[in-house]
Amino acid sequence: MILDFERPIKELEDRILELQRLAGESEELQGEIANLQRALETARKRIYLNLTPYQRVQISRHPERPNFRTYVEALTEDFYELSGDRHYGEDVAVSGGFARLKEGGRRVVLVGNDKGRDVKSRVRTNFGMAHPEGYRKLRRLYALAARFGLPIVSLVDTPGAFAGRGAEERGQAWAISEDLLALARSPVPVVSVITGEGGSGGALAMCLADYLGILENSYLSVIAPESCASIIFRDPSRAEEAAEAMRITAEDLAEHGIVDEVIPEPLGGAHKDPAPVVEAVGGAIGRALERLEGTDPSALFEMRYRRYRAIGAPKSLEAGRNGHHTSRGRG
Amino acid sequence: MRHWLSKRREYSRSAPETESGLGQINGVFTKCRGCKKPVYEEDLKSRFNVCPNCDYHYPISAPERIKLLADPGSFTEMAREMRAENLLSFEGYEGQLEKAREKSGLGEAMVAGRATIGGNPVALAVMDFRFIGGSMGSVVGEKVALTMEAALEEDLPLIIVSSSGGARMQEGIYSLLQLAKTSVELVRYTRERKKPYVSVITDPTFGGVTASFATAADVILAEPGARVGFAGARVIEGATKERLPEGFQTAEFQREHGMVDRIVHRLELREDVRRLLELLA
Ligand SMILES: [Zn+2]
Repeated sequence: MILDFERPIKELEDRILELQRLAGESEELQGEIANLQRALETARKRIYLNLTPYQRVQISRHPERPNFRTYVEALTEDFYELSGDRHYGEDVAVSGGFARLKEGGRRVVLVGNDKGRDVKSRVRTNFGMAHPEGYRKLRRLYALAARFGLPIVSLVDTPGAFAGRGAEERGQAWAISEDLLALARSPVPVVSVITGEGGSGGALAMCLADYLGILENSYLSVIAPESCASIIFRDPSRAEEAAEAMRITAEDLAEHGIVDEVIPEPLGGAHKDPAPVVEAVGGAIGRALERLEGTDPSALFEMRYRRYRAIGAPKSLEAGRNGHHTSRGRG
Repeated sequence: MRHWLSKRREYSRSAPETESGLGQINGVFTKCRGCKKPVYEEDLKSRFNVCPNCDYHYPISAPERIKLLADPGSFTEMAREMRAENLLSFEGYEGQLEKAREKSGLGEAMVAGRATIGGNPVALAVMDFRFIGGSMGSVVGEKVALTMEAALEEDLPLIIVSSSGGARMQEGIYSLLQLAKTSVELVRYTRERKKPYVSVITDPTFGGVTASFATAADVILAEPGARVGFAGARVIEGATKERLPEGFQTAEFQREHGMVDRIVHRLELREDVRRLLELLA
């Protein structure tokens, strides 16, 4: 799939292919091809080194982007998947189970959003948008992690929680808030990487974490840029501006201290060359687990508390405190 | 309580200043949204914006809610001077804040403090929908956290009255992470204290607020007719083309679906909360 802003690259590539087919021994055409290849290199750099936030969002949504199954296959030795929320149903927009990581052989509870690989599976997994059953399955998995003392590893790739009648009737907001609390009080380390989309509360229900990594072209946002544009600018076509204004890119998040690490992608996005990206994600998870391993539950809890308690509490807010409280935050 | 509910005040024809906080109600009377009968501004105000004919619950401001809920004179505000910053330099945000402050007379969409209810000391935070749709930014999240912190440190029951369109987009990622901030603080409180956390949900409460502290309570009370959910009906209809049933997401609907404990008439709220506090605290 070619994204809009990639058209100039695609056109050059097509012309090169066409000429290569015709060229044969013709020196004149060989020269032309060399020229086009130089132009192609320039266009690639011009476009891919100057991606706008919204273009990154488009890359994060690319259907060929390495997905949960790619990571499972590459990074785990044995993924023992579990199903169901034990209340109502099985939601395949969220997957999870026990796993042994190849690197270091660590056992973990692994959860992630499986968006699927083709139209059919993407529809089946509801494009990674979970219903309450998905969030309640997560809560089950978080509880299992606590019970067996296994760290939680999550790979986040969701546009957000699903907005629909059934989801509302079965308590979408209630299911999400329970997950947030479960992660907040988790006695085991929580290690998350945003590998694709990080949409709103639905994503946060998987990444209130002790370590949060993010791929270079992934994002984490309070609302989809398209929705922000239609609400704030009253014009959904201004998604580009909304993406810019909300500071949702990996780079912005790192700058604001929200994520611990930005994991680089090849020029044009992870789908151009998935293997090193998947490996880098595995490496980041391994290092985070190693660092957090053996931390006792109360220290983990305190660390997580400090990490999130301080968010959005800059100096002037401190001044607003009335002196009855001592700040426990890092801010 | 009943006699007070049905008591109708003498009203004067000279139009009082509209203090009910309802922009839509101008002048002496208006047609009630619930029963379509004329309702007098003065009547509404004396009943904390509940229609004397049909009990339709109109929104009320945070200060009015506190007057309704807390014992007279018992409320002391904390972090009153706390003001939002334009953390992301979001275009137009300062202007919106300025307008909201002017319109509401408040510093933010949340008023937090300590009070007594029927003589029982509590930590109390109340949202105000007039302030940028009761949206949750850093200050709202901070005030929720401070209220929880006060409850923890002073071993008080915690009461939060919500009314919110959701997270405040103008604060981008900071608004999303208020869900995390309030969650870690709430967990600390519930781990260490045996006092109840009561969430009172009023019309409307959606998005990030329902996906975090508003639904994470020991007991969830809601006002009659209050709409509460994750995504609003318009969003759902727009996205899925589903036809939504009558009364979708109202407090009554949510109680039917097991999401809300009790539906409490506004004028009975103080008494209801007092009973709960005395059973648990
Ligand atoms: Zn009425």
